[in-house]
Amino acid sequence: MSQLTESHTPAPPTPPAPPSRVDGEPRNDRPIRQRRIAPEMVAELGGSAVSALAMVWLVFNLSGVSAPLGFGFCWLAAFLTVYGLLCWRRHGVVAMKDRLATVAIWVGALLAFIPLVAVISYVVLKGARAVFSDFPHFFYADFSNYTLSAPTSAVGAGAAIVGTVEQVGLATIITVPLGMLTATYVVDHRNFFSRVVSHVVDAMSGSPAIIAGLFVYLLWVVPHHQTGKSGLAAALALSVMMLPIVTRAAQEVIAIVPGSLREASLALGSPQWRSVLRVILPTARVGLVTAVILGVARIAGETAPVLFVAGGSPNYNWNPFSGQQDDLPLRVYQMIFQAGGNARNDAWGVSFVLVLVVLTLFLLARLIGASGPGRSLAPWRVLRRGPQRSGR
Amino acid sequence: MTTIDRLQARDTGDPSPPFGEPGVGTEPSSLLATNVSAWFGNNKVLERVSLSMEPGKVTALIGPSGCGKSTFLRILNRMHELIPSAALAGSVVLDGVDVYGPELRVTETRLRIGMVFQRANPFPSMTIAQNVLSGLRLSGTKVANPDALVQECLERAGLWRETRNRLNESGAALSGGQLQRLCIARALAVRPRVLLMDEPCSALDPISTSVIEDTIRELCTDVTIVVVTHNMQQAQRVSHNCALFLVDGEGMPGHIVETGPTDQVFNDPVDPRTSDYVHGRFG
Ligand SMILES: Nc1ncnc2c1ncn2[C@@H]1O[C@H](COP(=O)(O)OP(=O)(O)O)[C@@H](O)[C@H]1O
Ligand SMILES: [Mg+2]
Repeated sequence: MSQLTESHTPAPPTPPAPPSRVDGEPRNDRPIRQRRIAPEMVAELGGSAVSALAMVWLVFNLSGVSAPLGFGFCWLAAFLTVYGLLCWRRHGVVAMKDRLATVAIWVGALLAFIPLVAVISYVVLKGARAVFSDFPHFFYADFSNYTLSAPTSAVGAGAAIVGTVEQVGLATIITVPLGMLTATYVVDHRNFFSRVVSHVVDAMSGSPAIIAGLFVYLLWVVPHHQTGKSGLAAALALSVMMLPIVTRAAQEVIAIVPGSLREASLALGSPQWRSVLRVILPTARVGLVTAVILGVARIAGETAPVLFVAGGSPNYNWNPFSGQQDDLPLRVYQMIFQAGGNARNDAWGVSFVLVLVVLTLFLLARLIGASGPGRSLAPWRVLRRGPQRSGR
Repeated sequence: MTTIDRLQARDTGDPSPPFGEPGVGTEPSSLLATNVSAWFGNNKVLERVSLSMEPGKVTALIGPSGCGKSTFLRILNRMHELIPSAALAGSVVLDGVDVYGPELRVTETRLRIGMVFQRANPFPSMTIAQNVLSGLRLSGTKVANPDALVQECLERAGLWRETRNRLNESGAALSGGQLQRLCIARALAVRPRVLLMDEPCSALDPISTSVIEDTIRELCTDVTIVVVTHNMQQAQRVSHNCALFLVDGEGMPGHIVETGPTDQVFNDPVDPRTSDYVHGRFG
């Protein structure tokens, strides 16, 4: 603003009274920063909040009502009213609307945030006690010592962790090639069949999880009689869940690879499959890895598909191909329905471990998703990534 | 400047790697297009174009936009058929072999007839060196001495001096002109016999343009070059032969109005429309 005025006036050599605002100032430019949060605004907000709180508290106390939720809502309403009146008196109607809208948006965002924080912190609070009372023990012990009266320190989620890791790993191995191939096909070939495939993928991603379990139960477990219940069966059910997630995400990522790269590779005499393998997929690599990890994080906590195909087992079973296997969501499910004792506590502990596993996967996804093109995706590189080297 | 660097590099006896194996050979080929017509859907965009591109010569295609120069170029190395609605008629013969016939596979045709696009399109997932070698990897060709090949191709594309110390970095940090020369190096690495260039300098500054023109002039002893350009001076500077494409009116297919040695097309044209076009009187 002041720069503009300055450049328009033809450099007056200290004239007596030009209407310019830069008049008395030195000719150095000063950056103008819009203060995002003015102290005045903070005072208005804080004042309104406090006065609204006082008012509502007074009313509730006098009438002897005790209703925390209602208290919260009344406070919010009173706050908005007081703040709106204040802004209207001090800044006018337009400013009032603007401020009220801003506050409403913030409040809405915070309200939406509450359930998320509540769920996570509740699990952490409840579960941490079980997990950290005897620290590493809970991570490697299994449930073979479980009795009705056994303390939480006698059991652990070790067997369930092994099961989850193996089942999710197997599901990933099955899903990733299939998902990548499907996505590539659907993006590269625009014809009737590819549209059918695309719609089927969409429909699959909306199908209930229990159906995936039922599907594998009928097609795999029943034909193998009771020996069919195994980690592999669970992995198959999880694959049914994961395939559409990975395919959908990969489709989006592959579709934004510029067509010019595809042309460039074909013009070099490449067969189409090599062009896909060496140019298109590597170009989309970062997005593809994120897609896979999001799929993994999503299925790691699924209970319904594994409910009647994994079998569950209190003991370690390292072999996913034979014998029943435990996993984390299934163990939580089973412990919740145990009568009395420490079962609930144990369930909280296992839930906590599950949240840890999923959280780790999400963090990994964020880390990898943040890397630019041409960057290595090897985890050790991602983790100790220095300042960007290529962009000078 | 870069050219001089390159000449010096040769004089001081930089070991010039043996010129052979990958791709198909060292001799430039002749390319003959006969009665080529092209359609997009029901829209005919090229009408019976015949053009002989002589071995070891630079042929320039000039003409206003939309008259089918790119389409013609893409027909020469079978890129045209990648567009679903596209169709064509006529024949294209490379050294006596019909590129649309059964003797040559599509991939083989494209390996022999390389292409450089209007917008530089290096592979972002690869380093500079990998970009140069990408054609070999993509066509499944083994190469005995990749480092020497990288150096040779970058030298021939006039990019060696600028990139020799960062071959293993991403190509993303190069300038527009350098990226285009990287694409030329990439196209050269498979040792094509013909190189098609579709307005290779249209997005570049004058200095990068002159470097690429130097490159074209030097390359033409090894490869037959066909270059599309909107720049009349450039056509005169780099080409031996010249073909002018025009359309007669809205919605009409493009066709060749005049072809011949560049000198003749520019200074002593047969068709009056040629003289009008090259002197900027229309189009
Ligand atoms: N992919 C396409 N689909 C449909 N029409 C196209 C396509 N590409 C080019 N055309 C049409 O073909 C004609 C010739 O285009 P082009 O060969 O790109 O011309 P030039 O390169 O000489 O500017 C134009 O009329 C253009 O609209
Ligand atoms: Mg064009």
